[in-house]
Amino acid sequence: MSHPQDWTLRQQAEAVRRGDLSARELLDATIARIIERDASINSTPVIFEATSREELNPVPPGPLHGVPITVKDMFALPWRAARNGTSFDLIPASASGPYRNLRDSGVVIVGIANQHELGIGTTGTESAYGRMGNPWNPGHCAGGSSGGSAAAVSARLVAGSLGSDSGGSTRLPASYCGVVGLKLTYGAVPYDGYFGAATTFSAPGVLARDGGDARMLAAALLQRPLPQQSGSGLRVGIIRDPFWSDVDPEVTSAGEKALGAAGWHVHEVRLEHLELAGAAFLSRLIAETGVPPNDLLATLSRPTRSLLLAGMLAPARFIPRADRVRAAVRESLAKAFQSADFLCWPTTPAPAPPLDEPRVNLPSGRAFADLSNVRQTLLANLTGVPGISIPIGLHSSKLPIGLHLLAPWGGEARLLDAAEHLERVTDRAFVDLVPPLAR
Amino acid sequence: MSEFEEWARATYRQSSIEVDPSDLALIELIYAGTIHQLEALDHIDLEKFPAVGIDLRHAPKPS
Repeated sequence: MSHPQDWTLRQQAEAVRRGDLSARELLDATIARIIERDASINSTPVIFEATSREELNPVPPGPLHGVPITVKDMFALPWRAARNGTSFDLIPASASGPYRNLRDSGVVIVGIANQHELGIGTTGTESAYGRMGNPWNPGHCAGGSSGGSAAAVSARLVAGSLGSDSGGSTRLPASYCGVVGLKLTYGAVPYDGYFGAATTFSAPGVLARDGGDARMLAAALLQRPLPQQSGSGLRVGIIRDPFWSDVDPEVTSAGEKALGAAGWHVHEVRLEHLELAGAAFLSRLIAETGVPPNDLLATLSRPTRSLLLAGMLAPARFIPRADRVRAAVRESLAKAFQSADFLCWPTTPAPAPPLDEPRVNLPSGRAFADLSNVRQTLLANLTGVPGISIPIGLHSSKLPIGLHLLAPWGGEARLLDAAEHLERVTDRAFVDLVPPLAR
Repeated sequence: MSEFEEWARATYRQSSIEVDPSDLALIELIYAGTIHQLEALDHIDLEKFPAVGIDLRHAPKPS
C-alpha cells in the first residue's frame, strides 16, 4: 500500500470514512512523514504530536473527518497562540474563526506551517523558525508568506494546509511549489483569532494538490458547498501589460499554452486606473501594518524591521487618495467581469529564485522577487475578489510555473471549475508532477 | 548625520521606538522607493475619483 500522504485529500477522507484506514493510522503516518521528510524544506517546524492525537477523541463527523492538515502561524488555535512567523505569542490561544470552521468539518491540525515573518514577504527567506526551502529544489524559495503551507503540500507531508493572503501570500507560494492556492473573497469567513482582522487586504486561503482537494478544503473553510460546474467555454480576460509582458518568456509561453489547451474564449481587457493600483495598495497596507512594540521589533530580521520603520515615515496624506483609487479600481474590475468570467495571467513572473539571492530576471531587468510578485497578485487584495494559482508545468530550471485567475466576489467555485477543467484537458499532467523530494 | 537620519531619528524618538542606527541606510532606501511610488496619488483628479464607501465582500454597487 502506498503512503496515505501520497493520496489526495479526497482519497484520505474517503479511506477514513470507509474504514480502510483509521484516523489514528492516518495521523501517525502523517507525523512520521513530516519528521522523515521536512528537514531540508522546514515547512512544518511545530508538530502537535500529543495534541493532534488528543484531537482524535472525538473528531467531529464532517466531510474531512480525521484528515490531518497544517495551519499557518497566523491563526490562533485553542492550544496555541498565533505567532505570525515570530517568536512572540501575538494572538492568545483561542479557537479562531477559520479553525472553528475547519474543525467542524472534521480536520485534525497536525502542525504549524512556517511562514514569512509577520507575513511581510513573498520568498519565505525570513522567519523565526528559519527559512523555507522549495521541495523542487531546497536551495530555492518556497515563497511567502504561506511558504510552509505550499511546501508541505508539494512535498506530500500533508494534502492540505490553511494559509492566508494579504498581497498574494497563498497564490505566490502555490506557484513556486507547484500546488493549487486559492485565496477566498475578503470577509467570507469569521476573522476572529486571525491576523487578517487587522487589515482590509487579508483573506484566508487553502493550499492543496489539485482543484478537487482545494474545493473540498475551501468548502469546509467557508462552511458552504462549492458546487462543481463545467469549466469549459469560459470567457477569459487577459491584461497584457505588465502581467504577461514583463514576465520570464518561458512563463508567458506556459501560460499561453495552458489557455490554448483549455479552449477558453480569450480576449484582452483594459483595466482603468490599474497603473495606480500599486500605490493605493502600498499606502493602505503601510497604514494598516503599523510598527510593533520595541521588544518584538528588535527580534525581527533587518529587512522586515526596516520595511516597517520606513513605512511608519510615509505621510498620511496619501491614505484618503488611496481609498478613492481603490474604489475606482473596484468599479473598473466589476466592469471587466461583465465581459469575462475570470481574468488571467501568470502568478509569479518567474520561477522561485535562490534563497540566498531572491531576485528574478525579467524583460524589464533584474528585480526583487517580492516587488514583481506582488505586482501580479495585489489586485485581488485591493478589491476583495478571490484568486487562484494553478500549476501549469515546469520551467527549464525544473521549478514550477503557476497560472493566476481572478473571479468576481464570491466566485470561488468558478475558479475551481476552471482549475479542474484545466486538469482534465491536460490529463492531470501538471497537478500530478511530483517534486524530487517526494519521489 | 544626514537630514533624513536626523528627521527619522526624531520621529522614532517621538513614538518611543528604538532604532538600530545601522538600519537607517536601508530604511532611507526603502522610504525613498515608497514615496516615489506613492507620489502618483498626489496627481489624481479628485473629481474623477469620488470618495465612496467600500465593502470588500461584495462587488461595488453600480454608480
